[in-house]
Amino acid sequence: MTESTRLRLTPTTATPSSAKACCDTSPQHTAGTGAPVVALVGAPNTGKSTLFNALTGSRVTMGNWPGTTVEVSRGVWRTTLSTPSCDSEKCASAHDGDPLAITLMDLPGAYSLDAHSPDEQLTRGLLQDGPFNERPDLCVITVDASRLAHGLYLVSQVRELATRVVVAVTMSDIAAQREVTVDTAILSRELGCPVVATDPRRRTGVVALATTVRTTLADPVPDPRPAPLTDDALVLDDDRFTWLSEAADMATVALGHDRLTLSDKVDRWVTAPVAGPVLFLAVMWAVFQLTTTVAAPLQDALDGFFSGPVSHAVTSLLALVHLQGTWVEGLLVNGLVAGVGMLLTFVPLMGLMFLLLALLEDSGYLARAAVVTDRLMRTMGLPGRAFLPLVVGFGCNVPAISATRILPDARQRLLTVLLVPFTSCSARLTVFVMLGTVFFGKNAGTAVFGMYVTSVALVVLIGLLLRRTLWRTMGTEPLIIDLPAYHVPTLRLTGAVVWQRLRGFLKTASGIIVATVCAVWLLQSIPTTGGQAFGQVPVEDSVYGVAARTISPVFAPAGFDQWQTASALIVGFVAKEAVISSWAQTYATEQPQPGQTGLLGDHIRAAFEQSSGGHPLPAVLAFMVFLLAYTPCVATLAAQRREVGLRWTILGVGIQLATAWLLAVAVFQIGRLFW
Amino acid sequence: MSGPLHLVLDEITAGTPTLAAIARRTGLSDDVVRAAVDHLVRAGRITSTELSLGCPTGGSGGCTSAGNSCTLPAALGDRRPGLVSLSLTRRVA
Repeated sequence: MTESTRLRLTPTTATPSSAKACCDTSPQHTAGTGAPVVALVGAPNTGKSTLFNALTGSRVTMGNWPGTTVEVSRGVWRTTLSTPSCDSEKCASAHDGDPLAITLMDLPGAYSLDAHSPDEQLTRGLLQDGPFNERPDLCVITVDASRLAHGLYLVSQVRELATRVVVAVTMSDIAAQREVTVDTAILSRELGCPVVATDPRRRTGVVALATTVRTTLADPVPDPRPAPLTDDALVLDDDRFTWLSEAADMATVALGHDRLTLSDKVDRWVTAPVAGPVLFLAVMWAVFQLTTTVAAPLQDALDGFFSGPVSHAVTSLLALVHLQGTWVEGLLVNGLVAGVGMLLTFVPLMGLMFLLLALLEDSGYLARAAVVTDRLMRTMGLPGRAFLPLVVGFGCNVPAISATRILPDARQRLLTVLLVPFTSCSARLTVFVMLGTVFFGKNAGTAVFGMYVTSVALVVLIGLLLRRTLWRTMGTEPLIIDLPAYHVPTLRLTGAVVWQRLRGFLKTASGIIVATVCAVWLLQSIPTTGGQAFGQVPVEDSVYGVAARTISPVFAPAGFDQWQTASALIVGFVAKEAVISSWAQTYATEQPQPGQTGLLGDHIRAAFEQSSGGHPLPAVLAFMVFLLAYTPCVATLAAQRREVGLRWTILGVGIQLATAWLLAVAVFQIGRLFW
Repeated sequence: MSGPLHLVLDEITAGTPTLAAIARRTGLSDDVVRAAVDHLVRAGRITSTELSLGCPTGGSGGCTSAGNSCTLPAALGDRRPGLVSLSLTRRVA
């Protein structure tokens, strides 16, 4: 029979004198006064607690979370001696002629004695800082054979102490799956201490470990491994890494070491300077094309559902309560149903887009794309780390602005804050997809893809322009990206990510749209001339329509000076999610022209046809470019002001509006020559 | 002669883009490179940041598909595949 218990020690109580003192307080859970005390240490997830359970017969679950109470388990390890050909408990019990009870302490998982965490503080306190005569008599250090170097750093530190050490190599089966084997004899020679391979789950190597521990306990304390006399922590650590690296290299036989893995072979192409960007563009084109092709029919069906049966049902209900034809119908049917309904038509599209991006992310491909993009940015002279918030910007500009805080240099931060609004966020995607579907049909995906390419080009070009004018001396910060092995995406994880993002989209967009719909409805209900009642005014004569008509001539050179189009851009300044809903709201109050179905797409097509003088395609492209380049939303402005102040925010808005207008005019004026 | 930690730090400073490339250029094993990077992260000499187009906790909460940069919660070997950036931590002299 074996016994064990758990002590709760806080780092402050884990004084150096605790190692043996703590073990004498509860004799029923120790091997008794005078019995050897052995400490079991090792990094988390190296099978340390499993080994403790196997040795003491108890079951203990260790919690290793920083900030919580640190747990130390202890128990009695009744050791036996094995013969050279015998290494199982049954076999050993047959030779159980010289049992020895050892008090075994299971210290919390620790990567090192550097005291970076409460767990490491405790381990350091027990093994290193305490008086020599109160330290454990021997340390068993568990080391994961599949990640040998990770565990050997702790070994190197403990070997610098005047204490007996036995290394228990665990997880040899996992190492074997990776075609890695560890030669314990060579490792023992290199480390200067006994090494035993053990598998506590299958209880193999347990008796050999007991025999080795007992033999080592009988030996004198070995000389510590000499360490360089220096106060430079990096030099000291590097000396340990040199030592452990040589030991690991000597003792490890990696059968597949010289072979390229499949990931390596794929990465040679995926991250190549030329093939990498080409492949990345092809993948993103496929994502947009697939999204628009699959989602378009669903979107059309939902559009028809909300503009037809749902609107008619609400109208009928209002007629029952005698509110038909009143401002209530205007707000509910033309406002909320049209606006929120339009949002809901994008659920299939956004869901599919999020799914494809989640698959790319979970598979590990996006990490490769990051390498490609980062290289491109550094080639252009932009700071490599600025890539990080810009990637986030393709999801949403607001957190991307906040993410610029990772940049240590104020000028890099400022430059990146000014560039983030040019990254095409998912809110703009809804407008691009709708216009792409209406004007480009089966090529909608290519049109949307073109907007993303334009977005990247704008970031690079504006960045270069600003660097060559404002910040000529800005240096670049090195950045490295860890490439994980390719991974088959899991349904549960991918589904959770898609749902989380879709829910976020619906939650935020619906709030923005309801608020904007109410504001737009209010402005569309206020007449600008006498003789018209509130809520009974034609939209073009409302405050909304008159204001839009006042601004719309600015867009004449770009081919989209219809007041309905201009008004959508004004609403889009608040939030891009509201562009389509405001369109839907505006056109819902208008009677369809002869030959039109009354669907939103028909209204918009007619508007661009008219405003462009018969060149709707260049006009809509100009509109999309303007939408891409001008101020994303008020929330982004607030974030910019918080990060870089009002002056730079205003300058940024000026750059965005000027860039957007100039590009839109250029696209339309050049495009009309060909289309 | 520089040890593994200095070699890895030098490669990061030189802009070597991936851990695999560092292993190739330094001649160190992949295991040692990862152990060195983990150690440098714990020692505060390298900052490790996990990126996602949308973190589970969301971004500012004020935007759709909010992305965010999240602190890497565990050692490199303990996480699922994802985009992780490692960069030198600027130290105050």
